[in-house]
Amino acid sequence: MKEYSVVGKRLPRIDSPAKAMGQAKYAADLVLPRMLHGKVLRSPHPHARILNIDTSQAEGLPGVKAVVTGKDTKGVKFGGWRAFTQLIDQYPLCMDKVRYIGDEVAAVAAVDEDTAEEALDLIRVDYEPLQAILDPEAAMKEGAPRIHEEVERNICWSRFIEFGNVEEGFARSDYVREDNFSLQTQAYAPTEPRACLASFDHAGRLTIWTSTQCPYPVQCQLAAALGLREGDVRVVQPFLGGGFGAKFELFPYEVCCSLLAQKTGRPVKMMYTRQEEFSASRTRHAMKIWLKTGFKKDGTLMARQARAVLDGGAYTSFGPTVTFTAGFFHTLLYRLPNYKYEGYRVFTNKPPSSGMRGIGAVQPFFAGETQMDMVARDLGIDPIELRLKNARQPNEVIPKLTTVNSCGLSECLTKVGESTRWHERQSKLPPGRGIGIACAGQQSGGAFNWFRTRLAFSNARVRANDDGTVVLFAGAADIGQGSSTVLCQILAEELGVRFEDVSIVAADTGTTPVDIGTWGSRVTFQAGNAVRAAAIELKKQLFAVVAPKLNADPVDLDIKDRKIFAKGRPEPSMPFPEAVTAAQAANKGKILEVAGSYHPEGKGIVSPAYSFVAVVAEVEVDRETGQVKVDRLTVAHDCGQPINPMSVEGQVEGSVHMGLGYALTEQVVSEKGEMLNPSFLDYRIPTALDMPEVKIIEVITDEPEGPFGAKEAGEGCVAPVAPAIANAIYDAIGVRVKDLPITPEKVLKALREAQPNS
Amino acid sequence: MQYPRRLPRFEYLEPKSLTEACKLLLQNDGKARVVAGGTDLIPKMKRRDVNPRALISLHGIPGLETISHSQVDGLRLGPLTTLGAVESSTIVTERFNVLYQAVQSMASSQVRGLGTVAGNLCNAAPSADTAPALMVLGTRLKLISPQRERTVAAESFFAGPSATVLEPGEILAEIQIPEVPRRSAGVYIKHTLRRAMDLAIVGVAVAITLQDDTCHNVRIALGAVAPTPIRVPGAEAILKGKGRSGDLFRRAAKEAATACQPIDDVRGSADYRREMVEVLTRRALEQAWDRCPGSTEGKR
Repeated sequence: MKEYSVVGKRLPRIDSPAKAMGQAKYAADLVLPRMLHGKVLRSPHPHARILNIDTSQAEGLPGVKAVVTGKDTKGVKFGGWRAFTQLIDQYPLCMDKVRYIGDEVAAVAAVDEDTAEEALDLIRVDYEPLQAILDPEAAMKEGAPRIHEEVERNICWSRFIEFGNVEEGFARSDYVREDNFSLQTQAYAPTEPRACLASFDHAGRLTIWTSTQCPYPVQCQLAAALGLREGDVRVVQPFLGGGFGAKFELFPYEVCCSLLAQKTGRPVKMMYTRQEEFSASRTRHAMKIWLKTGFKKDGTLMARQARAVLDGGAYTSFGPTVTFTAGFFHTLLYRLPNYKYEGYRVFTNKPPSSGMRGIGAVQPFFAGETQMDMVARDLGIDPIELRLKNARQPNEVIPKLTTVNSCGLSECLTKVGESTRWHERQSKLPPGRGIGIACAGQQSGGAFNWFRTRLAFSNARVRANDDGTVVLFAGAADIGQGSSTVLCQILAEELGVRFEDVSIVAADTGTTPVDIGTWGSRVTFQAGNAVRAAAIELKKQLFAVVAPKLNADPVDLDIKDRKIFAKGRPEPSMPFPEAVTAAQAANKGKILEVAGSYHPEGKGIVSPAYSFVAVVAEVEVDRETGQVKVDRLTVAHDCGQPINPMSVEGQVEGSVHMGLGYALTEQVVSEKGEMLNPSFLDYRIPTALDMPEVKIIEVITDEPEGPFGAKEAGEGCVAPVAPAIANAIYDAIGVRVKDLPITPEKVLKALREAQPNS
Repeated sequence: MQYPRRLPRFEYLEPKSLTEACKLLLQNDGKARVVAGGTDLIPKMKRRDVNPRALISLHGIPGLETISHSQVDGLRLGPLTTLGAVESSTIVTERFNVLYQAVQSMASSQVRGLGTVAGNLCNAAPSADTAPALMVLGTRLKLISPQRERTVAAESFFAGPSATVLEPGEILAEIQIPEVPRRSAGVYIKHTLRRAMDLAIVGVAVAITLQDDTCHNVRIALGAVAPTPIRVPGAEAILKGKGRSGDLFRRAAKEAATACQPIDDVRGSADYRREMVEVLTRRALEQAWDRCPGSTEGKR
């Protein structure tokens, strides 16, 4: 393993003190002089035609400064799919039809929040209710009413993947099984409900401070929605309280807020309520998965076939990517010669589903890893041994899809097994106690240019000052995952300065270079590579100036702990600030500032690299109440070289927490398209008391494409938690629950079906 | 479903005595609500579940947040005594432990610092955690109005979901919990999907008093499985005068499950709730019996 100075160190995050002391300003905290407050009127119907909107009474309410409806907008749809424009399908305000309970119908700006809310009550909307379509499988039937007139059978997106020959693969298998799995709708539930503040200057240029993961794509989409040039829109991300994919794209309320600011000539702020954040944002796709797998008697995987139907909700959002990855992830973990997948994302009259932490991975891994456990039991092979036998190895190609460079899956399996004394305990624990394993993998950033940007996915600029400080300008958005800290570490390491010498300006399209945003676990990897490239360029410029003064060739120079010297000869040396001064002087006082970029060119259609993880769950099941208590989760995680191990642990714990809720308690419950549990009381995210002990084992690999060998660490550990728990429940009580969440009622029902007479 | 929104406009009144509070309540002709901690009432107003013209706060009246105890009077709680105060009271923990168990299972410590026991009762949710615990402790509630003062047993206080027997102008003035006999123990089991910050799918409270090796007295109360929290006298009768017997516990538990009237909702199905009443009543009986000083289990 390589020795680093800053990389690999357990450094506190640079934003932690401000957050811990309540000084961090989130979008909802921001205030501007003469600021108005905006509110959105939402549809009470899952599916209806808008016949008429009368805003006259609302406009007459004292304190109301503007009311806008679809007629006040450009009437053009917006969305991120510039590579497939037919997928751009949402209006800032509904024009003729509402498609889910919560769809935006009108917006108001007033002197305070109360007045704005009161005004909403005074807007009269006449609706003609239409038949609501809530079940995706019914929605895909011929003749079903259409949610978007131009979309046949309500199929938003379909995706097919095929390599090898599954028929042949199954024919040559000794053992084939088919199972159906059902995955629920999960809410993102970020701690911070989204908010934005929009302000126009006298030249008609817009600045919007907004809770977003993706300032640059939001800038472009917002400009299009408002009919402005992209350069006349500045998007600034304040501190962000959690995204998980929910704040990935432009939202209608941001367009409404900007429109109201434009119309009134005053700054306007809009804040989601907690209920809006639950019911009028995005959700993780509910999914039905049919999975058929064939093996040889000795446990060799021969073929796999999958079909997935995704409940898309009312709009496209990032659903097409989920439709693809839900098929891709069946191929990642194990050497698979024959594969066939068909996935359908279907519109329904519900809040739109999108890509959520573990995007399109959580669902197929629940199916695949639960089925793996069944196969192991049926073939009489230990579940870890069965996985090891088929495990993906480094430098393997998945046909037509991608190449896996580094891969520590086998090591993850071995280490997690040793740590939990798996072989001594599996199938041997006292009644009611069980142990189960599952694996997953995750992309390190996407490679596919869905946004059809002409610019590199990540850009960074680095400025060196002659006092030895270094400023990093990066478009990448820290959404609480700690990317700003990690980018500073990467810069300090490559540049040979100390961590405390580096500061960062991030996620502001007015001052920082373009970055495609925080999604798909791409920031450490892709923005990290851009930062590193800038640092290398800066060193090159410095070394060119310094080399003659040190009587050395520039290529022989190195820098460590703020000193430039020739490799293998620590003296003479030149301090970094002096070198910067010299470089400035050599260029007639020009600021020493360089740019770097990274684009995943030629890296297949998925991702340049993959993280891997194996989780062992230990559970206790109460056979009388059906309650499942998770005692411990042991996580062995290959994220390449961890840049900041403490931050990695935080991400793993956060992922495991989200996976635990997905497994046992979290579920959007709705009736006739209306969410019945839009609160932290009835939408049950596990509390601190519900969290088991989490033991984390680092499996370090060196990813050739990653900055200092790093890969993703924020996402992959969500997916294996639910199947590991499900497999542990089977080990404990001998029953399978194949639809999530595994509630006490379902456990009891499964027990009853297994022993009809008890 | 009504979403929480801004608070509607209302008048805020702060009387200086309970009598004045009762009069204000009467004058407002059913359009006013008494507010103590507000942890149930304010969210209800934000959801427009209730729309009072006025809120009558008890916070201007001194001496209403008391916890007093004597051998003769037992435990007395004032109308402003918070859940948090009860939770941290040594006397409650030591002698009225079932109430402690109920209170500490509720909401979060922040909410318990605001919410009151009286408010939990007057809100009259079928799942109110303090109700079954107070019922099995034989609690009586003092209700006062300008015309009269009366006491009712805790189990006679509820009239339906969000409804009590409080008459116009009447206020719950004191919670009176009699002294617990020496060889007694109580257990509250709250069945939830999460281990904190959750409402009961089923709540079961049991209090047992032993004499020799038999059950001298037993009370069983259930929450979240009927329009109000309920006592199940049929189940209690099975055990009175009898010795410790798993079979009798099972019969009593079955009787409790038969007596309850649960509904399906977002937290659980009626069938599951009924089944859990049976399981948890049996467990609560076993645990309470064994915690009684001098029980066979307790001696071990």
